[in-house]
Amino acid sequence: MTVLILTSEEDVTADMVVARLHETGTPVVRLDPADLPGKAVLSAEYAHGDFGGHLSVNGHVLSMGGLRSVWVRRPGEPAANAAHPSPWLTAETRQALFGMLYCASTRWMNHPRNADQARLKPWQLRVAHLSGFAVPPTVFTTAPRLAQQFAEEHKDVVVKSASGPPPGEPGMALPTTLIGPDADFSAVAAGPALLQRYIPKRADIRLTCVGTRLFAARKQAEPGQVDGRYGETEHSWEAVAVPGRIGRAVHEYVSFAGLAYAAFDFAEDGDGTWWFLECNQGGQFGFIELETGQPISAAVAHWLSHSEADRRVRASQW
Amino acid sequence: MRPFTLNYAYRSGLTTMVTPYSFDASRQLNVLPDGSPAVSDRDLLMAAGTTTSTAGSATHFDD
Repeated sequence: MTVLILTSEEDVTADMVVARLHETGTPVVRLDPADLPGKAVLSAEYAHGDFGGHLSVNGHVLSMGGLRSVWVRRPGEPAANAAHPSPWLTAETRQALFGMLYCASTRWMNHPRNADQARLKPWQLRVAHLSGFAVPPTVFTTAPRLAQQFAEEHKDVVVKSASGPPPGEPGMALPTTLIGPDADFSAVAAGPALLQRYIPKRADIRLTCVGTRLFAARKQAEPGQVDGRYGETEHSWEAVAVPGRIGRAVHEYVSFAGLAYAAFDFAEDGDGTWWFLECNQGGQFGFIELETGQPISAAVAHWLSHSEADRRVRASQW
Repeated sequence: MRPFTLNYAYRSGLTTMVTPYSFDASRQLNVLPDGSPAVSDRDLLMAAGTTTSTAGSATHFDD
């Protein structure tokens, strides 16, 4: 039984897991959907009530009947590297690849349909609240007046992007930014603005969930630091224990969301409370493992290579 | 009118990283010029910054 990893060739974080799988002798096939067609060849057959499918890439062959699990890491857009790429070719290739993969009886980290839902920031906040996390007051609005009222109520407010920096503009950054009620909110009418009460933090917390295993890391914040992803500080990530209440909330969250992997971001305030900021269903873990030594890649490889079903996360939700 | 949130975007000035490793198709991972896996050199990975929380966010927002 073979593990399929969907990711780009330059994804060195995926290498960490590939190396683990090699150590345990687990067959693995690594595919970038951008290389299909091209370096990769696909064929799916439906005949006499039977389904069969095969993928080959760089000399490595995988049959759908022998598919142990799928890890969706950093895949390129289907057919992006084709000799003559086009939106149509991408759409056709996506149909062929995922249509075939969805027919296989296998485990996903994470299933694309669950991943799509899990990426929605407003939905994350709702599930976080239902799971028992502390969630900062938040508004996502196109109404300037409501944005103004929110900022006046909470005084220190951050603006953040739900979808990240504008795509197709390399080198653009859009960090979480602290603003006050004197900002000009008229441009909120030109696009949804996500505003959240600012949590003055003494540390950032990154909690990585792999199946039922939890790895928490803490990095002390600089005074006034708003977005822990930007700006170098003297502090590094250190492993910390997961409070029981947080662990229970994490399990509730990933169970509800149907996720086998998730990277949670928290802001630890002056009282030690971990405030939920977001849950990244495909969040990076390499930087955490390199600094703390936590065996996250080993945990990912273990989850991918074991055939017993994770009863908490079904392979296919519907 | 430019959407409110985009007023806080800026050019980070980061240039494309030249990574000191290349993909080995038969081994299905990246290797250094001497053929050893890139992941065997922790210091190199830390310096390359390709495992950071924002690595790959140009094409993926799942940081």
